[in-house]
Amino acid sequence: MRRLFKLSLQKPELASALLLLLLVIVFQVRSDNVFLSTNNIRGILGILPETALVAVGVTLLMICGEFDLSVGSVFALMPMTMAVLVVGGWPFWLAVLAGLGLCALIGFLNGWITIRFDIPSFITTLGMLFMARSLTVVISGGFPPRIKPGEVPSWLFVGFVDEGGLVRASVLWFAGIAILISLLLSRTNFGNWVRATGGFPPAASAMGIATGKVKIACFMICSVLAGFAGMIQSLRLNSFLPSIGEGMELQAVASAVIGGTSLFGGVGSVLGGVIGATLIRVIDNGMVLSQIDANWFKFAIGALTIFAVVGNAWLRRKGRAMKVETDK
Amino acid sequence: MKKLKGLAIAAMLSTTATGAFAQDPLDIVFTVHSGASNTFWQAVQKGYEDACGKIGATCQMVYLQTDGSIPEQVANMEAALARSPDALITSIVDNTAFDEVIQRARDAGVIVIAANVDDLEGAAGNARQAFVGQGFKPAGYGLARAQWANMPAEGPIHVLVGVSGPGQNWSETRALGVTTFLDEMIAANPDRQITYEKIDSGLDLAIVADRVGAYLSARPETNAYFDTGFWHAGVAGVLRDRGIEAGKVLLAGFDLVPVVLDEMEAGYIQVQVDQQPYMQGFMPAMMVYQTKMVGLAPVDINTGEALVYPKDVSAIRELSEKGLR
Repeated sequence: MRRLFKLSLQKPELASALLLLLLVIVFQVRSDNVFLSTNNIRGILGILPETALVAVGVTLLMICGEFDLSVGSVFALMPMTMAVLVVGGWPFWLAVLAGLGLCALIGFLNGWITIRFDIPSFITTLGMLFMARSLTVVISGGFPPRIKPGEVPSWLFVGFVDEGGLVRASVLWFAGIAILISLLLSRTNFGNWVRATGGFPPAASAMGIATGKVKIACFMICSVLAGFAGMIQSLRLNSFLPSIGEGMELQAVASAVIGGTSLFGGVGSVLGGVIGATLIRVIDNGMVLSQIDANWFKFAIGALTIFAVVGNAWLRRKGRAMKVETDK
Repeated sequence: MKKLKGLAIAAMLSTTATGAFAQDPLDIVFTVHSGASNTFWQAVQKGYEDACGKIGATCQMVYLQTDGSIPEQVANMEAALARSPDALITSIVDNTAFDEVIQRARDAGVIVIAANVDDLEGAAGNARQAFVGQGFKPAGYGLARAQWANMPAEGPIHVLVGVSGPGQNWSETRALGVTTFLDEMIAANPDRQITYEKIDSGLDLAIVADRVGAYLSARPETNAYFDTGFWHAGVAGVLRDRGIEAGKVLLAGFDLVPVVLDEMEAGYIQVQVDQQPYMQGFMPAMMVYQTKMVGLAPVDINTGEALVYPKDVSAIRELSEKGLR
């Protein structure tokens, strides 16, 4: 039992999970039980899969020891590409594939440039942030293309899957992808390579891991997930605006860090990234519900980030210091 | 030889006929407080470029990398002035930050016209020569007055006002116009419970939908939501998901984009203000031409507080999709 407790304390996402639980209780009480009402949960479940998918990609990349600041721009570029192609007469699925292919290419370029020229991914992806956003405006001519409701099979991505109209298909897409990435990290060689590459690259290279290829793969997964999430949001709102996703990159990094992902790579979990993204949405939503002055939103998210990281570090130290009997 | 001579004379005449600007085109710079991804500004740019094409001017539109960054906008203006343009068109989103650079431009003989957003004190607060744009407070006031006609005739009324960009002139002043009208209604109806609340609603469809949706969960008695931009279109989706019929929670805001027109047709948005962004780009450039070439002084142009209703949508849609409205 004590050993289990010790192991739990060392889980990187524990502090944020506890904080999430605490905040849900606080907001439920403060909002006179409205927070967990059907209408409000429906609202949270609408936007959460979109932000959490981006957070999952960024978390994976951060575990691998890299950053991607271009996710917000890719979030806008993919649906815009798809919409422009559909309006131009392309079949929907071909347009989706083209959009995702473009995201994969951006991810590849992010990774290749970072590794080939040995520059920080912070810089590479910062450049890509501007380039991708600019491309979004250029390909649309600045004006949002219009796809009429029913013209594309939006229901497959954002239609409600239950009779009560609570859960959208996007939640299922998100859950499936998150589980897949989580299994990839925990049950496959690739997952071990990612952790080793992020944790101590020289040792990973010495072990024969192609760290460059592993990083490029993570960059590509991260970009594709951001683009896919952007498509879901645009289909949900039936609006293809070039401005969506602005500022999302920092929120995604905050989600990963709040969820216990190390800024130095090697440590973190998909679950942590999801919890981090959920926490940010819960705070945003809960503060409106509790009728707290909304000017405090950003303060709360900043304070939470610091609190979660400090809490995680403290719990890990406690866990390490805890003595347990070993098997004989 | 005769033919050649004729062609040379014709070319000479055409050069003279097209006026001085053909040899020495006007140099105009337009600096704005927005990033290029804001759909609204693309319509302004279209108007600006169309006008520049007509007057044969060399024109540049300068966007920001960080939306709303005043220091960045001032830096862009400084850079533009370094090449001594004929005219500077800019949005004045702060009451003091632009005073010095605009005064310096005027002292250097550069024509300065404010577009889209003006100093809150107007000509008294800034050396710009004219303003082409919307009166934000009257626009907010007019919008609230128009929507008031759809409010319940009896019983309490609660209104939510979403300030899209807290601290930014355009958003705060539009919200002020709305709340000024509501304050008047509160004073005029002492026996009726009329209340309103303001929130930081955000500048993103999904975020606005989530925040206002949460607010409506907490205050289901809310009768109307006013947005200071076009992001209330996202709220219409929330209402639809909840099975709330169109018109139960009234929605109104500013500017026309396709998704707003869709929701107006669906009945979820009852009234919208159009400030004619194309005109905000077109008219300043034309005024620069008439000031420089004819000697007429630039004048203020109110591009409108025009109210758009669902019945107007079909006529407007084509223009909106072309970026003209």
